[in-house]
Amino acid sequence: MSLFAINKVKKTFSNGELKEEILKGVDLTLREGEITALVGASGSGKSTLLTIAAGLQSASDGEVLFEGKNISAMNQEKIREIRAKEFGFIFQFAHLVPFLTVEEQLMLMLDVSETKLKKEQQKREVENILQLVGMEHRKQAYPSSLSGGEKQRVAIARAIIHKPKVLFADEPTASLDSKRSKDVMALIRDITKNLNITTLIVTHDEEMLSYADHIIKMSDGVIMQD
Amino acid sequence: MNLAFKEIKKNKVRFLILGSIVFLVSLLTFIISGLANGLSQDNASLIKDLPEGQFYMNPEAEETYNLSRIDSGIQEKLINDYQGATALSIQMGFLNDQNDKQQSVVFVTSTESEIFSNVKEGEILLDRSMEEKGIKVGDRLTNPQFSGEFIVKGFVDQTKFSHAAVAFINMENYKEIYRVNDMQLVFIPKENAPEEITGLQSFSKQEFLKTIPSYKAEQMTLNMIVWFLVVISGMLFAIFFYMMNVQKIGLYGILKAIGLKTSRLFTMMWTQMIVITITSLALSIAISQGFNIIAPEGMPFSLTFNTTLILSGVFLVIGFIGTTIASLQIRKIEPLQAIQQGEI
Ligand SMILES: Nc1ncnc2c1ncn2[C@@H]1O[C@H](COP(=O)(O)OP(=O)(O)OP(=O)(O)O)[C@@H](O)[C@H]1O
Ligand SMILES: [Mg+2]
Repeated sequence: MSLFAINKVKKTFSNGELKEEILKGVDLTLREGEITALVGASGSGKSTLLTIAAGLQSASDGEVLFEGKNISAMNQEKIREIRAKEFGFIFQFAHLVPFLTVEEQLMLMLDVSETKLKKEQQKREVENILQLVGMEHRKQAYPSSLSGGEKQRVAIARAIIHKPKVLFADEPTASLDSKRSKDVMALIRDITKNLNITTLIVTHDEEMLSYADHIIKMSDGVIMQD
Repeated sequence: MNLAFKEIKKNKVRFLILGSIVFLVSLLTFIISGLANGLSQDNASLIKDLPEGQFYMNPEAEETYNLSRIDSGIQEKLINDYQGATALSIQMGFLNDQNDKQQSVVFVTSTESEIFSNVKEGEILLDRSMEEKGIKVGDRLTNPQFSGEFIVKGFVDQTKFSHAAVAFINMENYKEIYRVNDMQLVFIPKENAPEEITGLQSFSKQEFLKTIPSYKAEQMTLNMIVWFLVVISGMLFAIFFYMMNVQKIGLYGILKAIGLKTSRLFTMMWTQMIVITITSLALSIAISQGFNIIAPEGMPFSLTFNTTLILSGVFLVIGFIGTTIASLQIRKIEPLQAIQQGEI
């Protein structure tokens, strides 16, 4: 049994009368502890696939299997629980909570994922992860006072602090310049290797592919080749 | 981690603005209803401040108290049979003060009673508002229909009828002024009041108030003003709380995406709403009660603590409804929608 797999997933959006099939039966198995990069033309359905995989929207048909269980058949509360405890996400924008300091963002994530740690241990955990992403000096800062790259590093910290089994990232470097992009990718690679996190990452950027173990290409709602 | 307070702390200005709207609107409602209630007191405090009980008048009067005549035999019997029963009459009139200035008053007289003030012949008790018109204890007042003089014995608080000051006089003097022998009404306190008395029409206090033509019309207008205000300000609250939360859909989406329980989001919204509303209401209750005390003499303003609490309760419920409607929408949103909205 693989940790994470997608079976014949279809997604149809209806635009009034018009029905458009964006995903036309996608099969995909993630290799445990590795980074899988998903590439393809704009509009080919990458983000749609990623968000379905991450339980952020439902599939029209097919299965999303996490540890052998079909999450697309679960109720909202079950899916939420898996999202909170087992998954991490990074998006193009950091999407930090504007009224929480960097430290509080991470404490909240530990809280939400119900990590059974004492307050002291939580603080230490936050400290460690901030060190890892090089943001420990901005612990007390609010998102509005951080640069784009800094926000993204905090978002990465938030995505992994609860030690998820699977990490989903949708163009995590799109809002960054090329130097920062490389830093962030290297960071994602190092962290996921260290913590043995299985990662699915969508990217447009050819340069970023060198950080992936494995590349799959999508075109027009189907996977082209491994 | 208490998200509700963290957000309030970070966005003080935004919550302060919302709070001041709640504060101003509720203060407006309190003050207006205080004024409306004051006017209504001014119109009928003589009756409104009585204990609960039944009024009886002659059915031939067709619900017009000053056309009613209670036969003296019946009156005698009622006073003997029912404890606390009082016969009374109310009639508009005027008094001339020592400078021969005419003052409108309402003459009230009654049989011996614990509820109404009784005076000896030639004496008079006046509503406190007459004091402001320069009348003092010991003054001698006259009336063209009255052969003698009234000596002012003192003043009583909050006793008005039809916006005029009440003047309690002795029954003999009353009979002389109005050339009548019978009283208009009999009042019996609730605990002793019989359901029916044959030959008489019975009115509860509220029903009796409604038979006073000026009171009924005015009361309708005042009630209308207050309820419109309550409804509109209530809607304003609901809309404000709704808007505040709908604006934050992006934020709630992110919190949902990272796995916050919906119930926790609801708690956050409710907590914020309750904190803002209660603080603002407390402030406006304090100020309106203060106004109650400092309101200029002669300005009819009457706002009981009870009324304020009831109105506050209404506002709290409405704010809660507004927040809940918003939260039902937020429950429906997919976290994805928020993420696709771009950077917040
Ligand atoms: N909620 C939606 N309703 C209707 N159509 C949608 C919705 N979400 C996505 N689509 C459509 O699905 C198609 C694939 O979108 P998706 O975002 O998955 O593409 P993508 O491969 O991520 O593209 P990009 O590289 O530009 O991010 C697009 O044509 C888009 O318009
Ligand atoms: Mg995309």
